[in-house]
Amino acid sequence: MKSYNGAYLVADYPDRERFISAALKSLEFFDFLEIGIPFSDPVSDGTVIAKAAYDVIESGVKFNDIMKSIDEIKSKIPADRKLYVMTYANHIYHRGIQNFGKIMNDHGISGMIIPDIPFIESRRFTDIFEQQGLEFIYFITPESKPEQIKQIAQSAKGFIYSVSMRGITGSSMNLKADIKTAVADAKTQTKVPVVLGFGIRDVESCKNALETADGFIIGTRMIELLNEDADNSSFNKFVEELKAKF
Amino acid sequence: MENYPDIKGYFGEYGGRFVAETLINVLAELEDTYAAFRKDEAMKAELDYLYKFYAGRPTPVYYAKNMSQKYDIEIYLKREDLLHTGAHKLNNCLGQILLTKYMGKKRIIAETGAGQHGVATATVAALMDMDCTVYMGSVDVERQAPNVNRMKLLGTKVVPVEAGSRTLKDAVNAAMQDWVANCVDTHYLIGSVVGPHPFPLIVRDFQRIIGDEARSQMKDDYGIMPDFGIACVGGGSNAAGFFTGFADSDVKLIGIEAGGRSDKPGDHCMTLSNGRPGIFQGMLSYLLDTEEAQVAEVHSVSAGLDYPSVGPEHSNWKDSGRVEYNFCTDKQALDACLELSRSEGIIPALESSHAIGYLINNREKFKKKKVLINLSGRGDKDLGIIFKEAVI
Ligand SMILES: Cc1ncc(COP(=O)(O)O)c(C=O)c1O
Repeated sequence: MKSYNGAYLVADYPDRERFISAALKSLEFFDFLEIGIPFSDPVSDGTVIAKAAYDVIESGVKFNDIMKSIDEIKSKIPADRKLYVMTYANHIYHRGIQNFGKIMNDHGISGMIIPDIPFIESRRFTDIFEQQGLEFIYFITPESKPEQIKQIAQSAKGFIYSVSMRGITGSSMNLKADIKTAVADAKTQTKVPVVLGFGIRDVESCKNALETADGFIIGTRMIELLNEDADNSSFNKFVEELKAKF
Repeated sequence: MENYPDIKGYFGEYGGRFVAETLINVLAELEDTYAAFRKDEAMKAELDYLYKFYAGRPTPVYYAKNMSQKYDIEIYLKREDLLHTGAHKLNNCLGQILLTKYMGKKRIIAETGAGQHGVATATVAALMDMDCTVYMGSVDVERQAPNVNRMKLLGTKVVPVEAGSRTLKDAVNAAMQDWVANCVDTHYLIGSVVGPHPFPLIVRDFQRIIGDEARSQMKDDYGIMPDFGIACVGGGSNAAGFFTGFADSDVKLIGIEAGGRSDKPGDHCMTLSNGRPGIFQGMLSYLLDTEEAQVAEVHSVSAGLDYPSVGPEHSNWKDSGRVEYNFCTDKQALDACLELSRSEGIIPALESSHAIGYLINNREKFKKKKVLINLSGRGDKDLGIIFKEAVI
């Protein structure tokens, strides 16, 4: 089976042009892109992503500016490439759940990944988003219990985000038995791909992930690559490497 | 009021568990263990013992005669400043350290703003021989230096947090991140009635001894019920514990937030007066944020009140009208600190000075009334700021 993989980028980081260019480049290989809308208090993110998000906020980029960048990306990618928004609950809550969903639909976003809305708090959001045809992505973790995995596997839309370890983005991957079992368990009970994220940063860890899951998500490494030079050349080279290997 | 939170961890509209999926089962375990802990007579006896012989409970209610005469108000002070380590924070820490032992965990982490919760946590960690790490914003490390040294002396590792505004909220973020990674053997000993369920419940329960004691002391020692109960509100733990003891009475309850330099955004921490509901640090509660939904920069002269949100139970009390929320500015608090020091020989923490400052500045409203103030802590830690800011 073909794998189903995603990249994570912080919106308008390092600037609008380089972000859009990186987004388009990554979608030559990746099936979907997670676009991070910066939040002042990104508790699930390690220093690399948190710093990038902080820089974007400090540079004065607004939510509406990000939507314009998304429009440009959307107009230039094939229809089978999906865009997700990854952000924190307060962004949704303050714009109103219904209104936020409408904005997402207006800009061609397939769904949302919100690390501070766990499954048990998701109903008030999913009741509305499902009606709007949006996918709300659920997480499974090394702490998930079989009955929780079952519930999540059966309700999942789009894909299931399995967190490779207990920790935040930017930690190194350490695939232990608990998460391997959880992923295997989820795979037998769901129609959507089960994708591994957190700590995946090179061809080696991608291969590791694919032994267990249907795909991988690369985040921190993408931001690090953008930090390496001023013209995205390291970033582009990495995407080419992935294209050649997978 | 007694029945909150509901089984989903909500106080009316507010509360919940807005955290990473990884923590959901850890919180469930905490909730279950806490329920068993409350029913365990041996645990209750041990906590009572520690409160009495280690911490120095009950703390007295003192009739502040000089100030009362000056303002023609009957002013009573619940003396949490006399508690071991100098603030109400120890009530919660003793409870939670026993709970940590009960869960079989070996390591604790905490956040701190003023350093009072950090010191109280370091104290109980030393007492129970546990490994302890305290996160503290680097701005606070600087302005509350004596407490940093106390923590170090007690054997705790203090980690300065450089992210964001480098104050209390950022220390909470750092502690949450540590917890997600180490939840299997670590307990997050949170310092106020904030964060995901069941923390607002647990901390309130361990702090309600303030209100319960004060209520019976008013009756036994003075033969009266107060007309008003006033407490300062940062995250809201001293106020929640104090108010809960009077919840089913007619006592008018007033929570005082930090009015800071002015009511302009960024100059204050008036979450309940000026904020709106939002989701932050695990809870749905009132929040100070920008039009762009970013958490606002806030300011208070007192590090313990320098926080952009507030415990969910306070949000519910505000909406229901059971508690009135008001404010006291930096300057009024500093003046009140000086005044209480000079008139009663009690140096209050700058946090607690907000409650005193509110009373003094609204004295007409309280004339001839009986007012009980929760003096949540003592001011030794604040001497540096007091001498820098106040004209003495
Ligand atoms: C003496 C004192 N009072 C009040 C507070 C504010 O916290 P809370 O609102 O949780 O009582 C602090 C916090 O550090 C404190 O040290």
